[in-house]
Amino acid sequence: MRTMTIDRKWIVLTTLTTLLLLAACSGNEAPEIEPPPPKPVEQAPTTEVPARAEPAEPVDVQEPERPKSLADLQDEYNRAGLLGDVFFGFDRYDLDASARERLAKNAEFMNSGDGRSLKFTVEGHCDERGTNEYNIALGQNRGTSAVDYLVSLGVAANRFKTISYGEERPFCTESNEACWQKNRRARFVISGQ
Amino acid sequence: METLNTDFKIRFRALTILAVCTAVVCMAPLQARAQEEDESLGGDTPTIVVTGEGRSQVRLAFPEAQYDTSLTGRALEAAKEIEQTLRDDLDHATIFNTQGPTELSVLALTGQREHDFEQYRSLGNEVVLLTTIKLEGDKLALDGWAYDLPTQQSILGKRFRGTLDQPRLIAHYLADALHFQFTGRPGLALTSIVFQSNRDGYQELYLMDYDGRNQRKISAHKSTSGYGDWSGDGETIAYMSYFSGAPGIYYVELATGKKIPVYREGTLNLSPSFSPDGKQIAFAHSRNSNVDVYTCARTCTDPVRLTQSSAIDTGPVWSPDGKQIAFTSSRSGRPNIYVMDASGANIRRISFEGDYNDGATWRPDGTQVAYASRENNRFRIVATNLVDLDTKILAQGPESYEEPSYSPDGQRLVFSMKRGKKSQVMVMNADGSNWRQITHEGDNSGPDWSGFAKR
Repeated sequence: MRTMTIDRKWIVLTTLTTLLLLAACSGNEAPEIEPPPPKPVEQAPTTEVPARAEPAEPVDVQEPERPKSLADLQDEYNRAGLLGDVFFGFDRYDLDASARERLAKNAEFMNSGDGRSLKFTVEGHCDERGTNEYNIALGQNRGTSAVDYLVSLGVAANRFKTISYGEERPFCTESNEACWQKNRRARFVISGQ
Repeated sequence: METLNTDFKIRFRALTILAVCTAVVCMAPLQARAQEEDESLGGDTPTIVVTGEGRSQVRLAFPEAQYDTSLTGRALEAAKEIEQTLRDDLDHATIFNTQGPTELSVLALTGQREHDFEQYRSLGNEVVLLTTIKLEGDKLALDGWAYDLPTQQSILGKRFRGTLDQPRLIAHYLADALHFQFTGRPGLALTSIVFQSNRDGYQELYLMDYDGRNQRKISAHKSTSGYGDWSGDGETIAYMSYFSGAPGIYYVELATGKKIPVYREGTLNLSPSFSPDGKQIAFAHSRNSNVDVYTCARTCTDPVRLTQSSAIDTGPVWSPDGKQIAFTSSRSGRPNIYVMDASGANIRRISFEGDYNDGATWRPDGTQVAYASRENNRFRIVATNLVDLDTKILAQGPESYEEPSYSPDGQRLVFSMKRGKKSQVMVMNADGSNWRQITHEGDNSGPDWSGFAKR
């Protein structure tokens, strides 16, 4: 039903309607108002309150575990400096000089020797300061920036998959810039050989 | 305490007379008849109006409920919960200024109607609500009867009956009926809020009543799930989950609990928002690429890209009339709120304060968009008027306030309050007053207020 501000016209109309109604309902005399029943509640129509729709027991689906051997392999390449993560500025997803330098080394590894056969998931991560929802989008663009640059350096695009975790999976949990910097990254995870 | 304004009193009185004539003399249902007569005047259908902005209040006496002697043990406990819930509902509803047993205890009541009604009136009350609760078989019946005190005429009589495990719902029905009687609109008593919580280890989707009670988990993906959005009919919630790997869009059908995968293509699907008619969703999508806003039909077989910028475009929310979409874009260099036509045309920026704006929600009348706006590393909740872009602060303080969502009557906002790393869900009046924290266990965020319940 529409609401409206009250004006004089309405009051006049209401009064007229009331008078008309009184006339229509009961002839020319004002009706004798019957007193409401002493226990009027018995006369109210009953509304059955429906059962609230409740969800059934929800499904339980686990994310697949990554094979241990790939994680070990990745640690090995990380330690050797062949493969590394790239870091970003606050609220940014563009690549600075050190990020491009890191990606150039990654590209070199990816296009030579053992690195040539590997596939990667590039995870985008954010620090805790933005909103959760926007950070998921920001993390996606961080992963995309890193992959786009690698592709420009000649690494095949079909070797990468990106995923954003926003601020959900921090590497460091303190609330200071040193820690936040570690969380603003695109992480390279070996996903297949 | 506020008093009824004169206009309201006149209208209220007029409707009382209408009600007396129609209900008592003509024996027709009050609401239907009153509406019918109004329509004969030329289309407009005014009713008793307690406007939001004017905040006139009905001064209501609500003495102790009468408990039938049939009530014992568990049934009596449930009956008490009905009464308490009804009192809470009326306290939450801004249109009522209620006097309960404590305030009314000063009166010398005799049980004689005329005398007692005069007594209630002597404290400034205009309406009295009498309630009786009894056991009928294995069900509880709540009878509610409201009387206009000056005329001593009944203006509402309702009976709601439900099982012993539904005391809150039974009370909510009567509270909603009262609200409808005095405003012509449903109240919030039967509305719900969806949110996400990690209280059981994983971030799952939860529901709660509008007042924070009755919190229950509705997903068990054992992954990261959240950012629920209600369909207008209240039957479906669209949400995001990582449970099959990349973030995908899902529906949960509330009646069955069934989860339906909606769109899992590409590398990111986020922030689903139902169009008001429920026929489409808007969401943020990426395919190893920049994030953009897309829309698709409810089954989402063929999404259409709406934004073309090389910046992040995310967080779409449909306007109440379905003609526009508000969203967050970093095209200015920082996240800001933009509004575009539902076709993707006519994009214009509406946020110009703070250094980071996100989380748009439309006021149900479509005139304003509220969102989180960051200044000095903390978010405030602000609302921008879409006509002149005037922006007002609704919530600010020592914590960070994010993710606002309007109640369907536009009188409240639910939002998340981040203190350190932990978030809790809060409710406040739309003018920024009367804050209440309604979650306490675990980390809770991403609230979205439902539409009005079906009546």
